[in-house]
Amino acid sequence: MINFTLYVRGMKSSGKMLLLFAVVLVLYFAVVVWMFDPELQESLEQFQQTMPELMSAFGMGQQDHSLTGFVTSYMYGFMMLVFPMVFSILLANRLLAGAVDHGWMAYLLASPNTRIKIALTQGKVLGSGLVILILVSALSGLLFCEWLFPKELELKGFLFINLGVLALQLFIAGFCFFASCLFNETKHSLALGAGIPCLAYLVQMLANIGEEFEALKYGTFFSLYNPERLLAGESSAWWGVAILAAGALVFFVLGVFLFHKRDIPV
Amino acid sequence: MSMIEVRGLTKDYKKGRGIFDLHFSVEQGEVFGYLGPNGAGKTTTIRHLMGFLNPDAGRCRIAKMDCRKRADAVQKRLGYIPGEIAFPGDMTGTAFLRFMAKYRGMQGAGRRDELLERFELDPSGKLRKMSKGMKQKVGIVCAFQHDPAVLILDEPTSGLDPLMQNRFVQLLLEEKQRGKTILMSSHMFEEIERTCERVAIIRKGRLVAVESIETLKAAQTQRYIITFASPEAAEAFCGEALEIEARQSHRVTVLTHGELSALLAAMVNYPVTAIETPNQGLEEVFMNYYGGQGA
Repeated sequence: MINFTLYVRGMKSSGKMLLLFAVVLVLYFAVVVWMFDPELQESLEQFQQTMPELMSAFGMGQQDHSLTGFVTSYMYGFMMLVFPMVFSILLANRLLAGAVDHGWMAYLLASPNTRIKIALTQGKVLGSGLVILILVSALSGLLFCEWLFPKELELKGFLFINLGVLALQLFIAGFCFFASCLFNETKHSLALGAGIPCLAYLVQMLANIGEEFEALKYGTFFSLYNPERLLAGESSAWWGVAILAAGALVFFVLGVFLFHKRDIPV
Repeated sequence: MSMIEVRGLTKDYKKGRGIFDLHFSVEQGEVFGYLGPNGAGKTTTIRHLMGFLNPDAGRCRIAKMDCRKRADAVQKRLGYIPGEIAFPGDMTGTAFLRFMAKYRGMQGAGRRDELLERFELDPSGKLRKMSKGMKQKVGIVCAFQHDPAVLILDEPTSGLDPLMQNRFVQLLLEEKQRGKTILMSSHMFEEIERTCERVAIIRKGRLVAVESIETLKAAQTQRYIITFASPEAAEAFCGEALEIEARQSHRVTVLTHGELSALLAAMVNYPVTAIETPNQGLEEVFMNYYGGQGA
């Protein structure tokens, strides 16, 4: 169920933001891949030995010295987590709660489209924006790797990690969308939709630092995504991905349902 | 046939706010006024008709369909002007009107061009940069462009200059001729007076009257301020058998109750230089109607 006119409008109005996020991620990929130097790995190792907490806080506590391992730790431990997350928070918030808060939702509702259709269409705008963002970044990463270090990248592992990060990001987007469906004011939808994912990320950073806080990692959904295990092809890592994907669906469906049922004072 | 039916509609926002047990209906082809002071519950009622809110009790139907449960079907034949118009600011007026037409599943431009011409509106600028009056015009074109059978208008003339208010009244009268059903809210009696046959008055969330406009007008005390050539003439005029409210030098305020002949007959004998009719506030119309007892 989709209203194509609304979908096109949504994609157009989020286009600039999508472009901006994609450009940053592509540039980052370029820099990271360019930085890869098998010899440099040694000096980085030294760096890690002197400041292990700082490195691991950003998910860069790495063991794998291959190109794939390098790209995974530098891109898929921080940039590919935070950037798409911020994108989802901003876009999800704008698509529903923002339109209600601003008042222009009145025009969307005053039409022969059911609320379910409206919410599903907005959800698809968010979902496709996110998929495009991750796809473009990952493809650019792949191209940079093949260009600078032909045949060095482990394609299967790289694909697995991207599937994992996609599931994680869809989960976050689902949650933001759910928060956006729930509230009339963006301050409330942001408090929930941005607050929880950001808090979870901070907890995850703390948990990464060291044994002292390690138990914390069981407290956030971020631990369901484990790039090192995905890269190693461990089947246990796929359970986390499956849970994230299912959770994303649950949040999207729940959001649409509550949006359908509630009062919308516009 | 009743096009709009409201039966026992209640939405309690606590602390005395909300709407309580509203009953009224609007026939097909009727222009119905919905009057009330700010905060009385006009917009809350309209939001129920639009299917935006779930009633706590009671129901409202348009064309025999529940406004909330079958909102999509009801909306097919509905045109709406929100009380507070909010457009996506990044769009131009033209883009917005086209978007709404396509979004509604409309084929072609409908009545858009004719309406733009009628309201002398050039919608090519960004909505964000438009004046209040221009935005209101875009809102009007948006509500009428798909030629809906039922129109729900929440204070539709706010922001329009008198000339455009007249054009809008003209449009409403034409639509009525074409058999359209119109519910229009306002906090100004004059606006409603020119278009509506029947009026509901809402106050503090409760309907206090559903009456024909003639009944309301007859019950109304009309005030005339008459200016004379000299204070002496004004003073002499006060001796006539009329209801005189006040005299200030050569200005006399006279009250009438739906009957003007006595006043007119008296006036011809004096050097009258001007007659004014100050606008009446809605509270006053209401107080007149109830003579103070029902308030």
